[in-house]
Amino acid sequence: MDLSQAYDAMLGDLAGAFPLVLLAVAGLVIVVWDAFRNNDPLLPYIAGGALAIGLVFEGSQLASEQTTLFYGNIRAGGFAAFINMVLLGGTLLSVVLSVPYLRQIKHAYGEVYALMLFATVGMMALATGNSLIMLFVGLETMSVCLYILVGLVRKDEGSIESAFKYFVLGAFATGFFLYGIALLYGATGTVYLHEMQSGFAQSGATTMFWAGVGLLLVGFFFKVSAVPFHMWTPDAYQGAPTTLTGYMSTTSKAAAFTALILVLYYALPPERWTTVLAVVAVLTMVAGNVLALAQDNVKRMLAYSSIAHGGYILVGLAAGTAAGYSGALYYLLIYSIMNIGAFGVIALLEWDGKIGREQTMESLSGIGTQRPFLGLAMAVFMFSLIGFPPFGGFFGKVAVFGPAIDAGLTWLAVIGLLASVASAGYYLRVVYVFSFKSADERPAEAPATGTGFNVPFSSLAVLSLCVVLLVVVGFIPGLRDVTTHYFIDMAVAAGTL
Amino acid sequence: MIQQVLFLFLAVVAIGSALGAVLARSPINSALWMVVNLIAVAGLYITLNALFIGVLQVLVYAGAIMVPILFVIMLLNLGSMPAPSEIQWKHVVAFILGVALLTQLAFVLAIGLDALPEMSVSEEAVAASSAREIGKMLFTRYVLPFEIIAILLLAATIGAVMFAKRKFA
Amino acid sequence: MDALLVRLIILLPLAGAILTGLVPLFMPGLRKNESLISTIGTLAVAVPFGMVVYLFLTFDGNAFVATFYTWMAAGDLSVDFAYRIDQLSLIMGLVVLGVGTLIHVYSIGYMHGDDGFWKFFSYLNLFIFAMLNLILADNLVVLFLGWEGVGLCSFLLIGFWYTDLKNSAAANKAFIVNRIGDFAFLLAMFLLFRELGGLDFDTLLNGVDTLSSTTVTMAVLLLFLAATGKSAQIPLFVWLPDAMAGPTPVSALIHAATMVTSGLYLLARMSDMVLAAPGVMVLIAIVGALTALVAATIAITQTDIKRVLAYSTVSQLGFMFMAVGVGAFFVAIFHVVTHAFFKALLFLGSGSVIHGMHEVEHDLEHEGHDTSSFDAQDMRTMGNLKAYMPATHITFLIATLAIAGIPLLSGFFSKDEILFMAFQAGYNGMPVAYAVWAVGILTALLTAVYMTRAYVLTFRGEERWPEAPSIAPHESPLSMTLPLWTLAILAIVGGYIGLPGVIADGDWNWIHHYLAQDYGGPVADLADSAGFSLPLALKWLLIAIGGGVAILGVSLAWVAYDREGLAFDDRLRERLGPLYGVWEVKYRLDEVYDAALVNPIRDIMGQGFAKADASVVDGVVNGAARGAAAFGRVLGRIQTGVIQRYAVMMVLGVVIVMALILFV
Repeated sequence: MDLSQAYDAMLGDLAGAFPLVLLAVAGLVIVVWDAFRNNDPLLPYIAGGALAIGLVFEGSQLASEQTTLFYGNIRAGGFAAFINMVLLGGTLLSVVLSVPYLRQIKHAYGEVYALMLFATVGMMALATGNSLIMLFVGLETMSVCLYILVGLVRKDEGSIESAFKYFVLGAFATGFFLYGIALLYGATGTVYLHEMQSGFAQSGATTMFWAGVGLLLVGFFFKVSAVPFHMWTPDAYQGAPTTLTGYMSTTSKAAAFTALILVLYYALPPERWTTVLAVVAVLTMVAGNVLALAQDNVKRMLAYSSIAHGGYILVGLAAGTAAGYSGALYYLLIYSIMNIGAFGVIALLEWDGKIGREQTMESLSGIGTQRPFLGLAMAVFMFSLIGFPPFGGFFGKVAVFGPAIDAGLTWLAVIGLLASVASAGYYLRVVYVFSFKSADERPAEAPATGTGFNVPFSSLAVLSLCVVLLVVVGFIPGLRDVTTHYFIDMAVAAGTL
Repeated sequence: MIQQVLFLFLAVVAIGSALGAVLARSPINSALWMVVNLIAVAGLYITLNALFIGVLQVLVYAGAIMVPILFVIMLLNLGSMPAPSEIQWKHVVAFILGVALLTQLAFVLAIGLDALPEMSVSEEAVAASSAREIGKMLFTRYVLPFEIIAILLLAATIGAVMFAKRKFA
Repeated sequence: MDALLVRLIILLPLAGAILTGLVPLFMPGLRKNESLISTIGTLAVAVPFGMVVYLFLTFDGNAFVATFYTWMAAGDLSVDFAYRIDQLSLIMGLVVLGVGTLIHVYSIGYMHGDDGFWKFFSYLNLFIFAMLNLILADNLVVLFLGWEGVGLCSFLLIGFWYTDLKNSAAANKAFIVNRIGDFAFLLAMFLLFRELGGLDFDTLLNGVDTLSSTTVTMAVLLLFLAATGKSAQIPLFVWLPDAMAGPTPVSALIHAATMVTSGLYLLARMSDMVLAAPGVMVLIAIVGALTALVAATIAITQTDIKRVLAYSTVSQLGFMFMAVGVGAFFVAIFHVVTHAFFKALLFLGSGSVIHGMHEVEHDLEHEGHDTSSFDAQDMRTMGNLKAYMPATHITFLIATLAIAGIPLLSGFFSKDEILFMAFQAGYNGMPVAYAVWAVGILTALLTAVYMTRAYVLTFRGEERWPEAPSIAPHESPLSMTLPLWTLAILAIVGGYIGLPGVIADGDWNWIHHYLAQDYGGPVADLADSAGFSLPLALKWLLIAIGGGVAILGVSLAWVAYDREGLAFDDRLRERLGPLYGVWEVKYRLDEVYDAALVNPIRDIMGQGFAKADASVVDGVVNGAARGAAAFGRVLGRIQTGVIQRYAVMMVLGVVIVMALILFV
């Protein structure tokens, strides 16, 4: 291989993976800038600008053919553009929400934005990676950044403790993931996802192949906090600064799910793992919702709720069809919008000075009448999370449960529906407490006004955007088909890549 | 033959020292066992004709990484672990689960061994493991993962600094 | 019909365990209802016993397999929950359920008044269930499940009085030592599956010829190692004496009559394969002989009555392994049967004695004596119990004579058959067998001595507890003496199922004809195929030596201990000097193992999980009983805990995921 030739080709690759490169460079700029002008208020704008540019770029690539870059290590265009848009958009919304929030809790460090960008780089590498090595590197980059972000509020014991738990268990899960990669490589002789099938057929190492897939699944299950690998989630979500909880509960899950979809897409036949996914999906939906029911702290309740939503997505994956995969992607998009919004609202209402860790549901009584906009936005998010039409969440659930029924997993869809019905219990409780209880019913230790801080314009804009998107997303023509289209594409491309 | 003997020897040393690292009560002993383990693994790499990786393993892990770990242990003056308490039910549960997992993995290996290719020492393979070739691969085929690892390490460093600042905050 | 019976035989003890375990767990009012619990618990064993008797009587000589359902099928691997009824499993089933029933009855009296009465019966039933899985299984996987199950029950029952730290330490020791054997078992299973592609006995035993000799040797060696764990042989026998910490009926059932013989059962079941590894057989014979001798020498020095019996069990198991080593599998099973009778009887008798001595201890306490150093199991405080406990005395004496090998009692026939087979193997060109035979004769002498010593010290001489005879023990209740008498009868006549070859040219050796392959049974037999037969006179001579040694041992010890009592121990110590010292400290094997094996394992477990505090198991169990919200709160409690518990949950998840993806 001639190196100069190789570098000529690399320019094209760099251009194709422009958002990835841009985010990395912007992150570096922020780190260096921060070193000279500590916590410069300009820093979030650099991050936001890079994200916005990346978002626009990916939007332009949405219709293009899918290709691979960097010697087949990463995908670009089409499917990859879609998931990158979800990641970049989610990060952008979170950055905007975080600026006033972090200032309020006095943790407005420049490094936070650099770490968010780096985490997003990792997520993009994970979500669009086409080789096991890429998946692993992306997964770890994402995780390391998130460990740090969870432990951001250093004065708070709970925050540090949850970061530590997340870190140790994450390292544990990584061990399984890596072992799975080793077994897959042993069974197929390749690290590229699309070559695995043929390599597997050649070696015939059935057991080893499936053991590798199984361990890989374990790694993914941990990252998407599927039960019983979810134990870190409530602690980490509760310990992290609230807007960052919204960030990590959506984008990291989207990235991990996308990579999982790709792995499943190439690990055939699906009969082999349908049972695993179905079992884990059931556990996740049931445990997530049941535990959410028992919570009195809104943040922790939302943490369990996001576990449960991971379960719904797993239902779509268990179907093992193109419709199921695309439904899952669609769900991820909608889920990101509603969860970022919900955590955004909670972030604005914190009063305990401990990033909402001890705030009870009752202390938020009557917020909806005092702050009608927040009450309305929260109601929309909650109804959407329940899966109530006409909000986005409904269409998302249709998109994952429908394919499952088509694939003969009716029982699974039924359990999912029952779980959604049960989830209405705690979501509606939030709506009830916000809008139908009076502020007089708050417990004594809550501050008299109980309204946290003024709602800045930027937050208002983001929340409004989320609300609008949730209302219209189900009606955007062709959006649903976009994702379906990718998997038909990929099936064709798999032979030619 | 000699290769097999060497392998067995190194494997036994690696496993034994890993056990030592886990079982040692004093952190210093544990760290020193780990050095032995890393060197034994380096030896395994070398028997697999991956000379360069083996040398790096010794330099980077056994040298560059373990030395700071030892420094930290000594600076913090860490004491020995307390004596283990009585075995309880949950230990049994954990132990059974561990055995179950080990059983599954052993099953996978037992079934899968046949499928693995014979170990062969080709000229190409030896050549491909040279520093030059590895460097080439890192900067062409694997350049993207390589660069992202750089970001990973940077993020980890930032995180370490941020956590360390805690004392003065 | 028969398949239905097999189902019931397996499932009834499980149902009993659930009824006596779970129901009182949730309805504490029932815990004290001993008659209800004991009735259910005993019937759950007695009814299957009746069924096995029926199967035994109607058995037509053709083995049949009752398949419950296919448990896992993944690619090449297919494992059924299948149970095999043939001569071997019927014999074992009769012993396990028959002795099991008697011990259940006995436990009604023995455990009377214990707070854990219900738990005890639940565990016992669970044990029977696991043991039935072990002996009736048609493949190694189900057998292994039973194997692990009996290990678990043994663990639970040794540590039954878990508030005493010593007992839970003993339970842990048994559990951990057995893991070594279990690991070997697993390896053997993998090896055999890899080579033969199946784990049911037909595949395994028919495929022996296709295996390379190295593979067979490895597999048999691993199986033997597994057997040394469960059946307490060198090097893994150290757990059994400590296991006496459990209630005495447990010692009788699990650690004498049934579980500890499962290693022998395994080897007999795999006899075709064992025969293909002659090198390992030599090893088995040597290990068996050494274990028999070592344990017998230790037994001479023990003063705790149950420990004497424990070492005696190890020693007798050694005899059985000697039989396996010389290829006489059916004789090993023969000895399993007779040993089950007389050893269970000895243990139950000792239990009766301990029961009585506890009464003495209680009375002494009542009189204001300091009883902190009083040990109800120590023979040094007993003596002349024949005057107070006549039924226990007579039955114990019968068992003692039987195990010593006094002619015409059951132990004589089976032990002599083992020695005879060893000698014959030597005669047929296995030089080491002569040595084994010689060691066996020596051990038989020692057996007669130490058992007579135990008997005399306990039942004869003078009362050695304080305030005798104003304070005295009383005979145990009928529920305890009835099993004693039943077992005593069996210990007398049990040997007649295997009359030696000198009578009717071996035609009256029923158990041989029933089990051996030459006559259509499942157990291979080296002796028959080898061909050479000893001259008749030599056979008679061997029998005379065997019987003579037993009579000699019994009479020597009787005279010595009856005349001098405890003082004779001191004379022995003087006479034998350092040799006795080595025996007394049990060859220091415990200490060696503690340093080399037990402590490191304990360290691993202790260190890894030392900090976890609340129990996942408890949380889950509590949660099952409540409603959904409460369930959530309980799970939430798990959630609040420490990181190790999270990690354990994750490992559980990994195990489930891997099992689903690999085996479903």
